[in-house]
Amino acid sequence: MSTTIYNDYFGEFGGRYVAEVLRTPLDELEAAFKEAMADPGFHAEIDDIAATFVGRPTPMLYARNSSRELGGAQIFVKLEGLANTGAHKINNAVGQALLARRMGKTRIIAETGAGQHGVATAAVCAKLGLQCVVYMGEVDIARQRPNVFFMELFGATVAPVSSGQRTLKDAVNEALRDWAASFADTHYVIGSALGPSPYPDMVREFQSVVGRETGQQIEQYVEAEGLSVEALVACVGGGSNAIGFFAPFLNREQPRLIGVEAGGRGPEPGQHAARMKGLGRTGIVQGYKSLFLLDEDGQVQDTHSLSAGLDYPGIGPQLAALGVSGRVEFARATDAQALEALRFFARNEGVVFALESAHGAAEAIRLARELPSDRAVIVNMSGRGDKDLFITARELGGPRWKAFLQSEVDRFADSGAIGGAE
Amino acid sequence: MSRIMAHMVAFYPDRERSLAVAKGLVDGGAAYLEIQFPFSDPTADGPAIQEASQRALDAGFTVAEGFELVREIAALAGSRSGPDGAPPIFLMTYASLVYARGVDRFIADGVAAGATGFILPDLPFDHDEGAAAAARRHGAAVMPVTVTSAPASRLDALLATDPEYVYVALRRGITGSRTDLDDATLGVLDRIRSTGTKVMAGFGVSDRGQVDALDPHVHAVVVGSALVRAVAAVADEPPDAIRAAVAGRLRELTG
Repeated sequence: MSTTIYNDYFGEFGGRYVAEVLRTPLDELEAAFKEAMADPGFHAEIDDIAATFVGRPTPMLYARNSSRELGGAQIFVKLEGLANTGAHKINNAVGQALLARRMGKTRIIAETGAGQHGVATAAVCAKLGLQCVVYMGEVDIARQRPNVFFMELFGATVAPVSSGQRTLKDAVNEALRDWAASFADTHYVIGSALGPSPYPDMVREFQSVVGRETGQQIEQYVEAEGLSVEALVACVGGGSNAIGFFAPFLNREQPRLIGVEAGGRGPEPGQHAARMKGLGRTGIVQGYKSLFLLDEDGQVQDTHSLSAGLDYPGIGPQLAALGVSGRVEFARATDAQALEALRFFARNEGVVFALESAHGAAEAIRLARELPSDRAVIVNMSGRGDKDLFITARELGGPRWKAFLQSEVDRFADSGAIGGAE
Repeated sequence: MSRIMAHMVAFYPDRERSLAVAKGLVDGGAAYLEIQFPFSDPTADGPAIQEASQRALDAGFTVAEGFELVREIAALAGSRSGPDGAPPIFLMTYASLVYARGVDRFIADGVAAGATGFILPDLPFDHDEGAAAAARRHGAAVMPVTVTSAPASRLDALLATDPEYVYVALRRGITGSRTDLDDATLGVLDRIRSTGTKVMAGFGVSDRGQVDALDPHVHAVVVGSALVRAVAAVADEPPDAIRAAVAGRLRELTG
């Protein structure tokens, strides 16, 4: 699967189930994507920005202290969160923004949940001189204010979405509406490997740099230690980091590829965002066929995850197909397990996982304990945890954090600084 | 008098009041009813219909009860003159609801409830999961949707399927006089009509001038958001008041 750039369908999943008005821009995008991918000049542009702006290659860390404490397999961490703007999202934003510029588009729109994709897109637009509008649900704006601040600092307009659940899926709906009226000069940068084709293929291709680097680093750091790689582990919301991380390995039988979904507070409807292993139903939502959290009528169900980036009812169609075929295994981590993994690696290794990526870390810990010491487990830290400060500190920081926030408010009021950029 | 396909959302503002809306549309002279089953994520609709859909879901809409409502609406008769009683009903909804029930079962249940056809905007005619074939089996039609900006080859492919009806979503913001319907738009409408297909066209139609401009080029003019907004303005009134308000709004458009 990974060797074909444009698939459209992955088994029964994928496709382009959109209102006719969106067919023209998607057809144009498909043609431009195929043409660009065949042009070495386009890849050279991406590589240049990757080296000088994104910060590629991102390192791979041998988590020696953690591995020793767990007493099983050796854990390595792909530190993708060290990329500019703090997550893998920048890889896709760079690729799509360059493609949009190549197509002559001057305006970029994006949806964002946690804000990481919005921040990445806004940063790339600042660099490339493109106008940028980011749709974001009001609930997410309220809980991710720091990312709103950064997007606006980059010159983007953050458009609040007040419909539906006022989270990521509603932001997608609103961005699709904008695009239906604006595609003549506007490109819609979808942030995950989902949506109507060609997005799932396009996002995988732009994210597969993570997997290619991982392959090289496995030879360089993992196999050089005499270890054999048992599994690659990545969290899965829509699945862009996982599919990019897994892409070069899909046609091989080894290593095991494990996607970790948000177990939230538990398996009851509305309390999690796990679509695989029987909880999701095949459906057609937001332009693609895949596994979704739906009620029996086909209405999209509410989801919950402590990590906003995993709090989404659908999974990318290629990952859904790989789950059905068995090439990718799926696991879940709860909110509490993700937080515990975040603490564990912070204390032992000096790295802070994003809450999303910490779900992968939790599974890596569980798996490492079961395996012998000559095996390696590679986990993708797709994002770093700076952005989650206000969530993790509320969960882990105790009363001193609350006192700090209170004193910050007081200082802010005293300084008369209210107003500012808004 | 212009032929109108009048749109409503099932269970908006609630079950009883949406039945009153249907009665008002019949009173007001609708030639066709387009009854939308609300979906949680209606990407092809604007804010007015999205809000109406959310409220309808909050009011307890389920697909099974939606079919029951259609059955009641289809049985409406005597509210206006004409041999057929209630106008033909087209059921509009999103792929997720159809797919979840099973395409064939959804279509069969819709036909049994009294629907003449189906409008499924996110099931493209060339990837419709068998909806058109199922409709044919059950003696109904799927009304495919096209846009005036579609390439000629796409429109040709659509017309090659020999649809009985085609829904043309016009550009947003056509503004009321005949001259604002540009030649390209009229060309598309006339092209489809010349094949014998019944053309339903709309999208943002909200005044008499637009209806009059479209009327000669189409089988029926579709009025959607304008009627949903009319319902929104009286949503908390008693059913009879809603019925009267909706009928009045529709008559303003048809003259």
